[in-house]
Amino acid sequence: MRKLNAKYQKLITLIARLTVGGVLLVAGALKAFVPAEAASAVAAYKILPVKIAHIFGYGLPWLEIAIGLLLIAGLSIRLAGVVAGTVMVLFIGAIISVWARGILIDCGCFGGGGAIDPSKAAQVHRTYALEIARDAGLALLTLYLYFFPYGFLSFEKSAEPTKEN
Amino acid sequence: MTKQTKATKSADNTTRWLVIGMVALVVITGVIFSLISSNTKANESFTALKGYSLGEPVSATVDPAQGSGLVVNPGAPVKIDLWEDPQCPICRVFEEANGAYIDDLVRTKKATVVYHVLSFLGDESVRAANAAMCAADEGHYLDFHKAMYIVQPALENSGFFTGPNLIKIGDYIGIKSASFKDCVTKGSKAQLVQAQENAMSKYKVTGTPTVFINDKLWVRKSSSFDLAEFRLAVEAG
Repeated sequence: MRKLNAKYQKLITLIARLTVGGVLLVAGALKAFVPAEAASAVAAYKILPVKIAHIFGYGLPWLEIAIGLLLIAGLSIRLAGVVAGTVMVLFIGAIISVWARGILIDCGCFGGGGAIDPSKAAQVHRTYALEIARDAGLALLTLYLYFFPYGFLSFEKSAEPTKEN
Repeated sequence: MTKQTKATKSADNTTRWLVIGMVALVVITGVIFSLISSNTKANESFTALKGYSLGEPVSATVDPAQGSGLVVNPGAPVKIDLWEDPQCPICRVFEEANGAYIDDLVRTKKATVVYHVLSFLGDESVRAANAAMCAADEGHYLDFHKAMYIVQPALENSGFFTGPNLIKIGDYIGIKSASFKDCVTKGSKAQLVQAQENAMSKYKVTGTPTVFINDKLWVRKSSSFDLAEFRLAVEAG
């Protein structure tokens, strides 16, 4: 396992960076220019007071874009990865929270958002599970990036030769 | 697990703070851009009311026996009960499709319409509902109700339905009396607004818009609100 990791680490790191960075960049870009929609999507979780939720909804897409770009370019990977991972954990928490409270919403992850008809409850619950799985997967990738931030096509380079890993 | 170390250790801290600074800058710029764009949108919405011609006054009475709803034209052959929240976006869709038709039924006295202005979407709904009831005192509930949905912001509780803005709506459409302004500022209709809200459970209304035609719940069949469908339902009674 360790050997295998040593052999492919640079590639795995690149894939992890592009996956997490790409998802964040796309998610952020889809929301950044429809601020009203993004703001009400956050408010629909009914976790934060409405005013604070709106501000959060305005800022979150831009944070996603910034972190996404850093990861794709390979700058401050460890820091960007930690922020991305934290954001993913928060998303998971938020979805579990709405699920537990029986609220039916579109997560608004890639734009959209808001309440969903109760008749679609089963479908929404399945979507929640998939979203949690997706975010958990992305969080694991950021964890990998914490330990192995330096790989192919990156502005930042490692001090050690690759073989030492 | 051994962590990888970075090539240029000395520049690490500077870079880190630079990156944090840049990210913060991007986020703050984004928030400011979003705030400004939604503010401009709110102000732009008032221009939609320019040139609004105020309709003839219509008298309306509050009936405690009908969930404290605002009753217009009692005794007409058809009765329509409308349960709406001023901030509810789907109510706006309903109004866009059927509002003119309902107004016409009211003005030509073909139907009794009972307006239940709900306020479960928050403080701003309470204020807007209060203003709507103030407008009813002036005989202009219909106009104010229509105007409210024309300017309705996309965001609930975004800080748009404030006292001054509600008075501004009145100004734009031609409800300029001091009594209206006073009523909006003081929230004089608070009890009535509360009473209408409280009637929800009695009539088993759980969402908006809810429509009863001759006390029978109307359930739409098309995916969105369709005037032809609604008209048919009203005509069938």
